[in-house]
Amino acid sequence: MSNSIPEIENADLLLIFGYNGADSHPIVARRIIKAKEKGAKIIVVDPRITESVRIADLWLPLKGGTNMALVNACGNVLINEALYHKEYVGKYVEGLEDYKTAVAKYTPEYAEAITGVKADDIRKAMRDYAGAKNAMILYGMGVCQFSQAVDVVRGLASLVLLTGNLGRANVGIGPVRGQNNVQGTCDMGTLPDVFPGYQAVTDAKARRKFEKAWGVKLSGRIGYKLTEIPHLVLQEDKVKAYYIMGEDPVQSDPNAGEVREVLDKMELVIVQDIFMNKTALHADVILPATSWGEHEGVYSSADRGFQRFKKAVEPKGDCKPDWQIICEIATAMGYEMKYEDTEEIWDEMRGLCPSFAGASYKRLDELGSIQWPCPTEEHTGTPYLYEGNKFSTPNGKGQLFACDWRPPLERVDEEFPLSLSTVREVGHYSVRTMTGNCRALQQLADEPGYVQLSVEDAEELHIRDQELISISSRRGSVMARALVTERVKKGATYMTYQWWIGACNELTSDHVDPITKTPEFKYCAVKVERIKDQAGAEQHVRDEYAKLRKQMGVNV
Amino acid sequence: MEKKVLTVCPYCGTGCKLYLVVEDGQVIRAEAADGRTNEGNLCLKGYYGWDFLNDPQILTARLKKPLIRKNGKLEEVSWQEAIGFVAGKLTEIKKKYGPDAIMGTGSARGAGNEANYVMQKFMRAVIGTNNIDHCARV
Ligand code: SF4
Repeated sequence: MSNSIPEIENADLLLIFGYNGADSHPIVARRIIKAKEKGAKIIVVDPRITESVRIADLWLPLKGGTNMALVNACGNVLINEALYHKEYVGKYVEGLEDYKTAVAKYTPEYAEAITGVKADDIRKAMRDYAGAKNAMILYGMGVCQFSQAVDVVRGLASLVLLTGNLGRANVGIGPVRGQNNVQGTCDMGTLPDVFPGYQAVTDAKARRKFEKAWGVKLSGRIGYKLTEIPHLVLQEDKVKAYYIMGEDPVQSDPNAGEVREVLDKMELVIVQDIFMNKTALHADVILPATSWGEHEGVYSSADRGFQRFKKAVEPKGDCKPDWQIICEIATAMGYEMKYEDTEEIWDEMRGLCPSFAGASYKRLDELGSIQWPCPTEEHTGTPYLYEGNKFSTPNGKGQLFACDWRPPLERVDEEFPLSLSTVREVGHYSVRTMTGNCRALQQLADEPGYVQLSVEDAEELHIRDQELISISSRRGSVMARALVTERVKKGATYMTYQWWIGACNELTSDHVDPITKTPEFKYCAVKVERIKDQAGAEQHVRDEYAKLRKQMGVNV
Repeated sequence: MEKKVLTVCPYCGTGCKLYLVVEDGQVIRAEAADGRTNEGNLCLKGYYGWDFLNDPQILTARLKKPLIRKNGKLEEVSWQEAIGFVAGKLTEIKKKYGPDAIMGTGSARGAGNEANYVMQKFMRAVIGTNNIDHCARV
């Protein structure tokens, strides 16, 4: 996020794009409500009636998979109605002429035909957005689950640049990250193209610095992305070993059937985790790690805030902290890696990353939270980025970006007439091995999980609320409970991805966008069918659940 | 004797601060702390999301011992055997197919920044590849 979570409540306008704070980040959602109470205008772009929609001044209910067309139309209005901030753009931004050309055809009327959002509402939204003193954009899953995600994010950032909503408090743009430490894993360079601190592996100078510190020669070739792995294994036979730390791709990645095939084809699958999970069932070796609560370290919050987390209890089994396991493997492979504690690791990291250098454990204890960049120990951190409107481009100017909308790769047809998107649910978290093992949270909802569908579709298919139904795609079929709701539009269905029996990733596709190579995260065509024998279906769910739990080593 | 440990919620990127209240080596409840982002508030997951530490055997079992697949079945082994096995296999695969035949992941969940730093260092410095990524799901 360019700005801080607490600043949300001081914005004069919030443009919330495909982000459902109430379900994914309740405490961020509180800030949104506070902003509203303080008089902020709220504009929400979402196909569903989410909690944010309920408090919105303006709702743009776009069709799934049409984000880019809408974002381009927003830019079109800013340009054609001369709503953009000319002085700011002149001073700090470049690419205006190309941008104008790219969005020229996306008039609100043109976009209405694609997105289903009324042309005048698009105009109104942009007039309000450009007219607000301090406006902030929040986006989430709704943007990121489509193959054009990267383009849409850059398109949204262009709206921010055009209106000069950057470089000060209470403005900017924020992806509100899902898992607690997604920001931190990026910060630490668990990415194929950057070392810790966002230093490019292709930059010879950066490489030399890390080579000197680590005492080995390093590769300057950008590594593989996780999303490329299925193809690299199944078609090209290039990847032979997979070391999976704390993730569960069989449950969390699209097209679970293919993920299983990938794991089974590998010569070596190492799973390092805290709970038995679906991926671990395919492992050659399992290394038990200590969990949150049993070890300490630093997390990065979504708004770049480093915060220490502490050990509260002793581990229950013969587990070791993740870093210690890795060090032991490294040492056994002839590269000695040894740290006394996490602080020693953190200090090594700080020494190599100028923008994190000042965030020592001592300073973190004193300040509670430090938002990077924090170059020295005297520095107190950076609540918002781009002070002075200097950007990290070579010439320091912000780059405008627009590109054509491309329809989702898989479209609904006669056989699979409904769209499926995957969403989050308030009580549970991603793959659920943690929340699903908490008594109070487990009671909120249990297997087989739900599929949300519209009242109209339910009537047409003779499906009643809470009935078990079958959902199928070109890749698979699962059973789940129907949640018939007015919040969903006809033709659309939604599932959450934490369920084992109603596992939506048995259905989703991993089609890769031909241009950006990003997979179509979690959007596909499905059909929903009524199950006549409800009693039999209920029994089937109970049997399957018992079988799965037994597989996972639970004493049943 | 109750002891309160100030920590950070492990569930979402809001980064709420909370106290874990520990008695006799068990977490018994969580209390909201005055963090920068949460200012004394928590959601359901923050309040009740610690119970898995007590391994209540609801959905899955905690992994408590290293396991190696032998003749198709996962069997308990010592740490020494597990580490030796992994190191040997990785060395062999690296020699046979080159470092880029090995892929590693970071973890966006509980492991923490230090573990992720060490993981990417391992892949880069020990294996010799930049094949390291995580599931950057928003
Ligand atoms: S308490 Fe809720 S909102 Fe806060 S970090 Fe935890 S899951 Fe997120």
